[in-house]
Amino acid sequence: MNARTQYRTEAIVLRLLDYGESDLIVTFCTAEFGKLRGIAKGARRSRKRFANALEPFSRLQILFSRRRPESLALIESCDVLSHFPGIRANLEKTFTASYLIDLTDQFTPDDKNNEGLFQLLNDFLRLLEGGPATEGLLRFFEIRLLKLSGYDPVLDHCLVCKTPLGNEKAYHFNSGDGGLICTACRPDSPDALPVSLGTIRMLLMGREMEIDRLGRLFLSEQSAEESRRLLAHFIRHLLGRELKSVHVLNEIRRLGI
Amino acid sequence: MSGYALPIKRLIKELSRFPGIGERTAARLANHILRASEEDARRLAESILDVKRKIRFCSVCFNLAEGEICEICADTARNRSVICIVEEPDSLIALEGSGEYQGVYHVLHGALSPLDGIGPEQLRIRELLDRVAGNVVEEVIVATNPSVAGETTALLLVKLLKERGIKMTRIALGVPVGGDLKYTDRMTLAKCLEFRRGV
Repeated sequence: MNARTQYRTEAIVLRLLDYGESDLIVTFCTAEFGKLRGIAKGARRSRKRFANALEPFSRLQILFSRRRPESLALIESCDVLSHFPGIRANLEKTFTASYLIDLTDQFTPDDKNNEGLFQLLNDFLRLLEGGPATEGLLRFFEIRLLKLSGYDPVLDHCLVCKTPLGNEKAYHFNSGDGGLICTACRPDSPDALPVSLGTIRMLLMGREMEIDRLGRLFLSEQSAEESRRLLAHFIRHLLGRELKSVHVLNEIRRLGI
Repeated sequence: MSGYALPIKRLIKELSRFPGIGERTAARLANHILRASEEDARRLAESILDVKRKIRFCSVCFNLAEGEICEICADTARNRSVICIVEEPDSLIALEGSGEYQGVYHVLHGALSPLDGIGPEQLRIRELLDRVAGNVVEEVIVATNPSVAGETTALLLVKLLKERGIKMTRIALGVPVGGDLKYTDRMTLAKCLEFRRGV
C-alpha cells in the first residue's frame, strides 16, 4: 500500500460541495498542482479546524496529503492568506469574482502545474479588491485566460487572407474558426459577429499589458458591448454551454441592480 | 444483507437512504423496529406519512406549516412590523430557541450562490418584496449566515429594500458567549471589532 505524501501549497478556493453529514469536497486552483480536489473532514460541523477558511475565492496556504496524484487529497489544515474582504463587502465585486472563479474552474486542467492561471486569478482578485468591478476587468481576464489555456483567439490578422490587422475599420469574428475575418473575406456565416478595429486593439492591449497598468485602460460603451458579445460567444462555443454564474448575473441585471 | 427475509431487506434498503445512515446502522434500526410493538411501528409509519401529507410552506413567510399559515404568522401577539430574514427553516428554529425575538420571519430557502446557479429567482425574494409592499414594515433584520453566500444575499436584500425606506439591520458577528479571544480566527476578530457597541 502506498504511503500518504504530504504537500504544502498556496491555493484559491474555486468550489465547495457538501459531502455526507459534515464533510466538504473543495476544489482549489493552485500553481503547482493545477486544479486540486480535496476532502475537508468535519469542515461543516466544526469551524475550529478550518476556521472560516473554506469559502469561495479565499486565498489559503493548505497542507494536504494523498497516496497518488489522481486520488482525492485529504485537506489537513488551512491558513488564510486573504479573504478579499473588499470583494466580499460589495455585491457587484462578489458576482464578478464568482464569474472569474467559475471561468478558471472550467479552463484549469486537473493536477497539472499551472502557475500562469493561478497567478492570473490571484492578480485579478487583487485588482478587484482594490478597484472597481469594471467591464474591462472581466474582458481582460477572459482574453488572458484564453491565451494561457491555449484557446487564444486570432485577433491580429484575417484568418482567410492573412492580412495583418489595420487595413480595415471593421471585422467579423467567427467563434467556430476562433478568429477574425476581414470584410472582403467575410463568409455568410450567421455565427460571425461584427467587431470594430478599436475594440480589437483594446483587447490586444488588455491581453499584453502589465497587470497593474490595466486599470488605466478604459473601454468605450461600444467596445464594452462588442468585446462582451465576442468573448461571451467564443467562450460559450468552447464550453458548449453557458456558465451558471452568467445565468445568475443575468437574473441580477433583470432586477435592475 | 444476505440472510435477511425480504421485508427486512426492503426496510434496511429504505432506511439506508437517509443521510448519514449506512447499511449497518440501517440494519440496527430495522432490528429495533422489528422488536417494537405493532402500535409503535404504526405510529412511526403514520408520523412519516403525516409529515408528507400535512406539511407545506406557510403562504406568508414560507416556514414549514401544518396549514395555510404557520404558528408564528398565526400568533396575534407577534410584532408584524419587524421581519427577520433567514436562509432555512433550521435557522428560524435556532433563533426561536433564543426566546428573544417577538417579530415575524421570512424564509428564503437558500442563499445566493452564482457558482451553483442559485440566483434571486430560486429564492423567495420576489415574495418578500410583495410582502413588504403590502404591509407596514418598520424593520427588516437580515439573519442570513455569515458565509460568502449569506453575505452576498444580505447585500442584495439591503439594495432591494433600503430604497423603499425600510430600516435594515444585520445580525451582529463576533466571538461566541463563553469563547476565548486567543482561539478565535482572524476574520471573526476583525468582525467583532467592526460590530463593537457602546457600553
